[in-house]
Amino acid sequence: MTAAVVAAHSGLAAIVGAERVVADESARATFTVDGRVPGLLVFPQSAAQVAGVLRFVAEHELAVIPCRNATKLGVGNRPRRYDIALSLKEMNRVWHYEPADLTISAEPGMKFGDFLHFVGRHGLWLPLDPAGGGRASLGGIVATNSTGPLRLSYGAPRDMVLGMRIATSEGKVIKTGGRVVKNVAGYDMAKLLIGSYGTLGVIVEVSFKLFPLPVELGTFVIPAGTLGIGRDIRRRILESPVNPMRMVLLDPVAATLVRRGTPLAAEVKEPEIWIECGGSEKVLNRCARELGELGKAAGAPVQRLEAASAEGAWARIGDCHDCLCEASPKVTILKVALPGAAGEEFLSRANQEAASEGVRLASFTQGGVGVIHLGLLDETAGLMALISRLRSAAEDLGGALIVERCAPELKERLDVWGAPGDDFGVMRKLKAAWDPKGILSPGRFVGGL
Amino acid sequence: MSLDHSLTLPETLRYTREAALPREDWGSNSRVAPRIQFLQRGRLHEPDRMKSNALIRDLGRIVGSDAVLWRPEDLMLYEYDALSSITQPQAVVFPTSTKQVVGVIKVASQAKLPVVARGAGTGLSGGAVVAEGGIVVGTSRMNKILEIDLENRRARVQPGVVNLDLSLAVSDDGYYFAPDPSSQKACTIGGNVAENAAGPHTLAYGVTTNHVLGLEVVLPDGEVIHTGAKCWDRPGYDLTGFIVGSEGTLGIVTEIIVRLSRKPEWVETLLAVYNSVLDATRTVAAITARGITPAALEMMDGFTLRAVEEATHAGYPMDSAAVLLIEVEGLKEAVEENADQTEAVCRANHAREVRRAKSAEERDLLWRGRKNAFGALGRISPSYYVQDGVIPRTRLPEMLEFIEQVGKTHQLQIGNIFHAGDGNLHPLLMFDARDKDQSERVVKAAKAILSKCVEMGGSITGEHGVGIEKRDLMPLIFSEDDLEMMGRLKTVFNPRGDLNPGKLLPAGRLCGELRVQVSQGGEV
Repeated sequence: MTAAVVAAHSGLAAIVGAERVVADESARATFTVDGRVPGLLVFPQSAAQVAGVLRFVAEHELAVIPCRNATKLGVGNRPRRYDIALSLKEMNRVWHYEPADLTISAEPGMKFGDFLHFVGRHGLWLPLDPAGGGRASLGGIVATNSTGPLRLSYGAPRDMVLGMRIATSEGKVIKTGGRVVKNVAGYDMAKLLIGSYGTLGVIVEVSFKLFPLPVELGTFVIPAGTLGIGRDIRRRILESPVNPMRMVLLDPVAATLVRRGTPLAAEVKEPEIWIECGGSEKVLNRCARELGELGKAAGAPVQRLEAASAEGAWARIGDCHDCLCEASPKVTILKVALPGAAGEEFLSRANQEAASEGVRLASFTQGGVGVIHLGLLDETAGLMALISRLRSAAEDLGGALIVERCAPELKERLDVWGAPGDDFGVMRKLKAAWDPKGILSPGRFVGGL
Repeated sequence: MSLDHSLTLPETLRYTREAALPREDWGSNSRVAPRIQFLQRGRLHEPDRMKSNALIRDLGRIVGSDAVLWRPEDLMLYEYDALSSITQPQAVVFPTSTKQVVGVIKVASQAKLPVVARGAGTGLSGGAVVAEGGIVVGTSRMNKILEIDLENRRARVQPGVVNLDLSLAVSDDGYYFAPDPSSQKACTIGGNVAENAAGPHTLAYGVTTNHVLGLEVVLPDGEVIHTGAKCWDRPGYDLTGFIVGSEGTLGIVTEIIVRLSRKPEWVETLLAVYNSVLDATRTVAAITARGITPAALEMMDGFTLRAVEEATHAGYPMDSAAVLLIEVEGLKEAVEENADQTEAVCRANHAREVRRAKSAEERDLLWRGRKNAFGALGRISPSYYVQDGVIPRTRLPEMLEFIEQVGKTHQLQIGNIFHAGDGNLHPLLMFDARDKDQSERVVKAAKAILSKCVEMGGSITGEHGVGIEKRDLMPLIFSEDDLEMMGRLKTVFNPRGDLNPGKLLPAGRLCGELRVQVSQGGEV
């Protein structure tokens, strides 16, 4: 811990209260990011306190990483500096909730599970299945634009955020957007914060539009045999009248992982397509009929699962990072973003590349969305080269590859985001406009921002 | 350009009446009614003839001399959009490529002239007119659909492609482009991007920003950047999301990657007829409370629907106080259930009748009535001023009572057309622009309604944009710090303010000053 950080203790205590600045070594260790341990933990309770902390941090030229419990901070380059962990766990209130308007404003530290429970009483939800599931925080979900397979029908946080209040590195609290579902007044600054991984400002309140919960859910599983059959089925489903809420293609390793610990546990031998539909019994019966017919045409039998047993499996699909870590503690996790139809092509190339390197794969492909979470289950000397070949394959197909989890020593040698494009100059200037002193998660984002 | 244009005019509103142009069947909001004209301090450039000739020649070298307008009589049309007219541009150019746009922007920069991009000019907030002179970049020749990729549900288009033309291009394959402004037969996708346009069906499917994935943008220094991609989640800040809705103040968009949507299997269109406008508004929140998300949920009051019926003969009941036009879409079974439930909610809220369109023709007719509503009102009033406030949908009944009161106080007839499901209000204030007193009352009434929207936790614009019209009302909803950050971010893209100056952000740096101006009844 540097002298500057030790000296900051009393200054921060004056802002948030002495009991909410923590220097205890074991507590700090739980906030470790890529091997760096913060010098202090700060737990502000209000937007004004967050702003105060940021102003203080900027004045003293320290570096801060905003988070809740720092459990999902694996994504990003190694921070250049990390003096203070700004935990928003004590900011978990709800403001302005009007169920009939289908809108809500809440604080960033609220856990997603608690939030869903809160609005679920009124038959509402926020249709997201983000990494970390119910343990994820609202702020974390928004700051990383975290999505799962539900994106197919509902979109991303980017499509559900109506507005936010943001604490800036200069210690101000500003507002963008509002609390109504349609609003074009002023620049949509929220878009910049969504997916900015804590590098522009700290979200201190966020307003969402909510959605009615589906009456009933139905899950269908179609064994796909091969990637080619998988592609055929995916096409047929997307062209059918069935509007799946979510759809995912699991390779045999992923399918086995997903089923583990649920009533569906089984050793799976071929890729599976999992589909969830929502609606009344009549609607679900129609979906079953349509899927059955198109499965028959593709030569694949369709199995309808009990909703209760499917629920646990879907939670594991959303939480695929945890699944993959179970499979191998040394797993490297890649997120590949592709045009929706390129998934199977990428997977077939990935299988070849991985086989030649002797690395086992596990893949979760969000059908129709084009996002693949790919676990490289083995560590080999050629891992770096394999990742860069997979990145080239993704880029060839018009996509991008992000390394979401890897060994710290690998992180020293690779850029987890890949090379930025011709819009990077503007991004750099935007970062400077928001955070002139570079105090927010320095070095973690694209191009070292 | 006549001499008196160069006079410094006081910063006040002036109203003029113009001859109404022929009504076109696309139901433009724009070409029918005479409109309010804004005049403000005339910072009009009057370049000497030589300089002007050189400019026209330079522009002609880039885009071809047949693609430059410079005679005052040609420029006259480009003084206008659907809201306002301020001053003529120095020239209008029609580039066909990104390269030509870069060339034009460089010539403009050398001549120290602002650049304003313009699609079809159907905008309602003054976004596509010059506020301070300059060069208008018309996108009408950049109207190519560059790529249609159905398996990925994407299209790549130039900004001048007409909204409906894209949907028509993919219609036979069962796809469409979801944002559907009422002007969709004329407005361009570039304009939709600039304003983050919406339409009746955005209730279920979201507004333009939810359907745009990537952009090619020319920055004011001529640099060309590419934001986003065909895929989601390209690493980096979401510049696409920030530029959509920035009203042409950050860059000139020269290519757009959009998402295409699959047409639903089944559609039911319901017309619920009410004897009380309050019952109609109460139905709106009751429908969403039942867990139904209609694709569209529109409201017209009796005054408006009578005007519409006379113009369109869509079959709206002439003696009712209000109608709701409701559409549910999706899987046949789901649509049937939702339509039945919706009908029950309407009846529970005292709808006297609920009709369902029996054919595609009947459905089209009902929608034609709605989409031509502004035009229909233009037939019965010499002028009207349309507002675009937003409120939480549960406050609709209260708001309607308020609007009625405002009408009485200011002795104005106000028609109401709402995207009710979104809480997006379009009160139409009828007046005669030749009557100065009426005109002043209209501005006061509009401001009262917008202030009420803000008081209810809403917004001053849901889909029409800030433009010139509402830039000085921005302090009603944003603090000085909010606006300062917006100004700073604008500077990142547009450091010298060359692109679409005088739009979106309040004119002065001191918001205190602006509030005074607003309270004095400035621009609305």
